[in-house]
Amino acid sequence: MDNQYDKVRRSTTPLQLDVVEAFARGRLTRREFIQRATVLGLSMGAIGAVIAACGGSTASSAAPVVSTAPGASTAASAAASVPAVAGGTIRVAIQRPAGPVDPIAMLDLGNYGTTAQCFEFLCALDKAGSNITEGLATKWTPNTDGTVWTFDLRQGVKWWGDGKPFTAADVVGTMERLVASGNAGLKGVLGPGGAVAKDDKTVVFTLLGGNGNFPYLVSVFNPQSLITPADYVAGTTLDKRPTGTGAWKLVTFNQATGATYARNDDWWGGKTALDTTEFIYFDTIGPMVTAYQGQQVDALVQFDVLSGKALFDDTNFNVIATEAALHRQIWMRTDKGQFADKRVRQALALTFDRPALIQGLFQGKAQIGNDHPIWPGYPYFDPSIPQRVQNIDKAKALLAEANLTGLTADLHCGQLLEIPDLATLLKSQAAQAGITLNVKVESLDTFYGAWWCPPDPKDPPCSGASELGIVDYGHRATPDVYLNAALKSKGIWNSSQYASPTFDAAFSEFQTSVSVDAQKAACTKLETILNDEVPIGLPYFYNYLAGSSKAFTGIYASALGQMFLSSASKTA
Amino acid sequence: MARYISRRLLLSLVTLWLLATIVFIIANVLPNDVGRTILGPFAPQESVDALNERLGTNRPIFIRYVDTMAGLVTLDFGDSFITGKPVLPDLMAAVARSAKLAGLALFLTIPVAILAGLYAARRRDKLADRGIVLLGVTSSSIPEFVTGTILVVVVGVQLKLLPVLATPPPNADIPTQIRYLLMPATAMAIVYFGYIARMTRSGTIDVLQSDYTRTAAMKGLTTSQTMRRHVLRNALIPTVAVIAVQIGYLFGGIIAVEKIFNYNGMGQTMLFAAQRKDIPTLTAGAIIIGIVYMLATLTSDLIIAWMNPRIRLDSDS
Repeated sequence: MDNQYDKVRRSTTPLQLDVVEAFARGRLTRREFIQRATVLGLSMGAIGAVIAACGGSTASSAAPVVSTAPGASTAASAAASVPAVAGGTIRVAIQRPAGPVDPIAMLDLGNYGTTAQCFEFLCALDKAGSNITEGLATKWTPNTDGTVWTFDLRQGVKWWGDGKPFTAADVVGTMERLVASGNAGLKGVLGPGGAVAKDDKTVVFTLLGGNGNFPYLVSVFNPQSLITPADYVAGTTLDKRPTGTGAWKLVTFNQATGATYARNDDWWGGKTALDTTEFIYFDTIGPMVTAYQGQQVDALVQFDVLSGKALFDDTNFNVIATEAALHRQIWMRTDKGQFADKRVRQALALTFDRPALIQGLFQGKAQIGNDHPIWPGYPYFDPSIPQRVQNIDKAKALLAEANLTGLTADLHCGQLLEIPDLATLLKSQAAQAGITLNVKVESLDTFYGAWWCPPDPKDPPCSGASELGIVDYGHRATPDVYLNAALKSKGIWNSSQYASPTFDAAFSEFQTSVSVDAQKAACTKLETILNDEVPIGLPYFYNYLAGSSKAFTGIYASALGQMFLSSASKTA
Repeated sequence: MARYISRRLLLSLVTLWLLATIVFIIANVLPNDVGRTILGPFAPQESVDALNERLGTNRPIFIRYVDTMAGLVTLDFGDSFITGKPVLPDLMAAVARSAKLAGLALFLTIPVAILAGLYAARRRDKLADRGIVLLGVTSSSIPEFVTGTILVVVVGVQLKLLPVLATPPPNADIPTQIRYLLMPATAMAIVYFGYIARMTRSGTIDVLQSDYTRTAAMKGLTTSQTMRRHVLRNALIPTVAVIAVQIGYLFGGIIAVEKIFNYNGMGQTMLFAAQRKDIPTLTAGAIIIGIVYMLATLTSDLIIAWMNPRIRLDSDS
């Protein structure tokens, strides 16, 4: 511990100090410390000083966040090591926007990727693609209990649409629109009037309660929180009023075919190496892959293992595999029917051969799940909860105890990516314990509308769903949505009809805790309860896959369809 | 002739009304929530209810039907549920793209298929005839998406001779556009070669066996004179009818080819609209495809009448 470390300790807020102390005492790994400290607004200099003073911790148990094709370097490191040339265009394959390019109302990856070229977030994505870093905000600081957050804004930023300066009024206007629209990330966190401009370069957020993760909610991980001009009224779309503060200016937009962008010479980040970018819209992933193979696109914003097998073997292709909280939940009705007995739910979960599922469905590009939605990448994940492994004898014994030997059930799922294959594999694994699963694969409309969460009856929500099914969940920077909507009593997507006062109390504890120890303690309780009661089976968290030709370098991507090209360039 | 055309146009209006009604019923009676489909499974129910209110999809179905039909009469097809923009400009752009693709496919198919059919008919039961018939049956029995996929893999990915995407860059000149459309058009042309060649062959064989053809030959006309003056005009009548039907199909039904080559013609546009319950786009698109069908069949009837005066178009019977 040296002077530098003491200086950091003296200058931090209580929440920041809590993270520093947690790291110094070995309760956070180096990776977790960086992640938490960044969220709480500690500068990189301060983070470096703390790490240097503490000598780091034991190696993180988590795998690297960004990986590439076998034998290749990461996209980020490639940017540092490969000589680049200025100029040129990159052609990017991306999903067609499913609705208007309205930054506030958009809900799909195609729109997220299209808008994120022009608009920016208060907290941007770091180049490793895993954590937040400075964006339109250069610094953020919480008060002692995480109820008030102060954001210092970047100066000298201009809107390329009209040349006006970016100010705190733009942030306040955006937040008001987000709150009014019921933004899923900010709901219950920020109320009307919660964001106030202290002056032109400072915004103060007064939250509805303490929240240690607030910067995530105004970051790339909440895709609608892109900052738009103060007078960008609700319903305005990027194509109708092209503007932004970002590295790229929208030149052409056609919802059917694609969009083109040109360099924003006034961008605060400097001059981009590429002159222009071209986004080509696709409805399905298969043609994206063939377009890359036919050399008509240079990068893919997203692909899946099944459609993109050939890309893994392509030595000229950089696979950006971002570990993410993307997962499938195998819900089991806890209120009635055959799965109401927790021993039956445990029995089914014990039939899962998780490593085989990960290998068979994702060629290993996924992380093992332990029947709860706390992703191992979250800094408060507790790895000490014993991992459930396949145990057919125990499953049979539990079924016998519950007098349900020879259990038969319908397993409903939608026709989406690997889910039908997952259902088939689960059927064969369950059969080893004498469980007969009848796999029912339907169109997504039918599945969501009839089996997962039908609109009627509304109370309790999702109470018309089948007793067993598989549903997909996207990436979230924090697990609040998974816990609140899918598992809390009367949650809006609680298709297992799980109602546990113990769980609800632990979730409330998690939501209101802001210190590292309190969040970890709450998460330990949540993981323990869910792993024991198994309202959902959760066999894996799979990686988000994007990638590009090695003719380009410096590309990085989020797990939400955003590909960032401001540092991209052609390789020499 | 004028009377015939007027009558056909009037009947077309009735057909279009029926078509619009059927599309409206299919799109509206399916058990689906428009707001939920558009906003997705994770949207809160309040947002879904608000969207349904804004789109008017929670009104009684009869009111919606009357509104839709009134809009069609005034050529106001409404705004897309997805983009919020008027549906007509986007649909017309899709029609233009489909027209280019269908036009190139027909341009590639028709001359080759007709020549092959005529050649086969004149060499009936000989090796050339058998070869053309076999080729026709084979080509028309392989679906477009199989041919398209093979072309993409071999010509596009392996040999890199042609682009694997059909959409040319913005403001591309005509040769470039043709280059981009060549593979999908070829995939379609291969299928229609079989239909048209076989139809031409059988029509020609029928005419070659007719009394007037034998008379023409006996009065000393050369084979080419007989073909040109007596056979072609009569033999091609069924072929013209088949081509007319195929034009309508090419405009609206080539979803598989459009998907493989990522081309946003009418097929993909309509599929996108159907998947997202964009009823205004779906209804207007069906009407436009219906109009294309009707214009194609009307044109073919007029051509057939010109080719064969015995067909009394303006008969009252």
